[in-house]
Amino acid sequence: MNSLVIYPEAIEQAIAQLEQWLQHPHPWQNYRLTPRSLALLLLQKDPQLWDACPPDFPQRLDIEHLILETQEKLSEPLSLAIAQTRQQQAQHLENQALLITDTPRLSFVEHLHRLTVNPLTGFPILLLILYYGVYKFVGEFGAGVLVDGIEGFFEEQINPVVDQITSQLIPWPILQDLIAHDYGIITLGIRYAVAIVLPVVATYFLMFSLLEDSGYLPRLSLMLDRLFKILGLSGRAVIPMVLGLGCDTMATMVTRTLTTQRERLIAAFLLSLAIPCAAQWGVILGLLAQKPAALLVWGGVIFAIFLGIGYLTARLLPGTSGGFYMEIPPLRLPKLRNVLIKTWVRMKWYFWEVLPLFIWASVLIWVGRLTGLFDAIIRLIEPIARALGLPQETAPIFLYGFFRRDYGAAGLFDIQQQGALTGNQLVVAAVVLTLFLPCVAQLQMLVKEQGLKNTIWMVVFIIPFAFFIGYVLHLSLTLLGVNF
Amino acid sequence: MDCHRCNSHCGSGKGTPKSGLFKNWSLGLRNQQQPQIPDELTVADAQIALVGMPNVGKSVLFHALTGIYATVSNYPGTTVEVSRGVMRLGEQTVTVIDTPGMYSLLPISEEEAVSKTLLLTHDFASIIHVVDGKNLGRMLPLTLQLLELDLPLILAINMMDEARRLGLALHPEILSQQLQIPVILMAAGLNQGIQELKQTLQQQIPAPPLPLLV
Repeated sequence: MNSLVIYPEAIEQAIAQLEQWLQHPHPWQNYRLTPRSLALLLLQKDPQLWDACPPDFPQRLDIEHLILETQEKLSEPLSLAIAQTRQQQAQHLENQALLITDTPRLSFVEHLHRLTVNPLTGFPILLLILYYGVYKFVGEFGAGVLVDGIEGFFEEQINPVVDQITSQLIPWPILQDLIAHDYGIITLGIRYAVAIVLPVVATYFLMFSLLEDSGYLPRLSLMLDRLFKILGLSGRAVIPMVLGLGCDTMATMVTRTLTTQRERLIAAFLLSLAIPCAAQWGVILGLLAQKPAALLVWGGVIFAIFLGIGYLTARLLPGTSGGFYMEIPPLRLPKLRNVLIKTWVRMKWYFWEVLPLFIWASVLIWVGRLTGLFDAIIRLIEPIARALGLPQETAPIFLYGFFRRDYGAAGLFDIQQQGALTGNQLVVAAVVLTLFLPCVAQLQMLVKEQGLKNTIWMVVFIIPFAFFIGYVLHLSLTLLGVNF
Repeated sequence: MDCHRCNSHCGSGKGTPKSGLFKNWSLGLRNQQQPQIPDELTVADAQIALVGMPNVGKSVLFHALTGIYATVSNYPGTTVEVSRGVMRLGEQTVTVIDTPGMYSLLPISEEEAVSKTLLLTHDFASIIHVVDGKNLGRMLPLTLQLLELDLPLILAINMMDEARRLGLALHPEILSQQLQIPVILMAAGLNQGIQELKQTLQQQIPAPPLPLLV
């Protein structure tokens, strides 16, 4: 094979020497590598190949020695010299094949790019997106219009029918309760999943897909990089966080791609504590929509905790935040087809993820109520609920919140529909539920990404902290005489 | 190239629905282990792989070839797992593998390592290196590394629609002659160049052996 790239003399000599040695049996014979590429990867100290080399490989020392020797003949690091040679050859090829027909002037897209990354214009753009995309579209349309419609349909058309059919088919009230009535699989589990959670998640994912495909998110990362530095994160963590506003489980999985373990830990922790998922904040938005001041207090408290706890974590954890490197793709007009397919795929993923959990929750609640175990736990929570100034009916919600906090939020929605909560109580309950752990699936992902020990630390912190903040909030609202 | 380490993900790579209500019944505690490299890669079909830097449109091309949807987004690092699909190529079926983006053969992140290991441990009838026509100079070093591996390479220069809008024109025949591999200009999102790519693949992939009579 004649080589396309000719490296500097010293490197070519080393390659020739290595090729000669590698004619004999060596530890890398399972890899599909040409002698030349194997030699180059060894010279660049490729970790994977070196890990595969047993310490007693006879030529190991020779090769290490050869690398040092070659390095001494070069003025720049070996890997850099190799990369530069390739880069020059690539440039040369490009120059031959490329014809520039005209130099583009500063286009509209370029102007738009500057507007999105400059904080002076970028923040107003972000606020516009939040107001129209999040508040108007997901909050008012998804959590308001759609939820009301589907929920009403369930309450009026499906639940009575299910109740009636089960009472006719199944003579035992205990089994009836499993399927129908207040906590049944269909009347509660499936209703929560289809009527309350799905519309919110669908509208959020639709908006998120649009933002994704336009190329806005990397620009947001660029703009928020400095803010995120305060939290010990880099701008790269913006995308997992924004994704977390859709689904914390997906987002926790994505923290894997942040560069340092410290950054991954902080991001996973903040996701668990202070980033509500779409189902959750959608429902809360719907609950508090009539009381803008209450909504502002909820948002303010959560945002302050996000910043405050992030700042403290960054101070307490040793290490520095990683650098910010990110390729900024061009701004593009999203293709409707891709946006719709992507939203559909995510919705499906999410729906099949939550539906079994919601059904299981119904079953567990049924078992728990049957055995009296739930009543015992609820009695334990009741004093806490009372301390937060909440009616006793909210105690089960916190228990459900352990399963999924969106399930808890959906339960809150139910109680509020019955008009049983005051504005203050709603805010306090919403804050506590937001701070709670997202759900069983996210907890499992957390164990996978961060290990059992870190996860236990987080849980031990988060649950009392959530109640504590609820208590402080209740106290301050009472002392200040605020009534929403 | 300090764009090296951008692996921000939206996590959408996992958007792949592992649907089926009953799979998740174990309290939703389903096993989320990422399939590193699918074991089934040892089937008899000819296999081809799509490789290239992040955000050059590999998943769009994968969709165009196989009809299977892999989450596509406008930022680097959307694909974090290997996806596989099947395409018809004349008389035969070919398995197509979509890989996470890689910058070079020296991986920096986990997903890059997945792509590299795949390349170094499996036999592919053809490897399609997908590059962004707007940034050819930055993309070609990987082509050169893949050529050093002596892989059956096809260079698919994607996003030519955007490159043309920037006033760039490319001469594929010059590159083809210099690199001694087929070079195809395409815009996978607009379905341009797909047919040409399929024809080239057909020439490169040998016809399957006649089925054995049992």
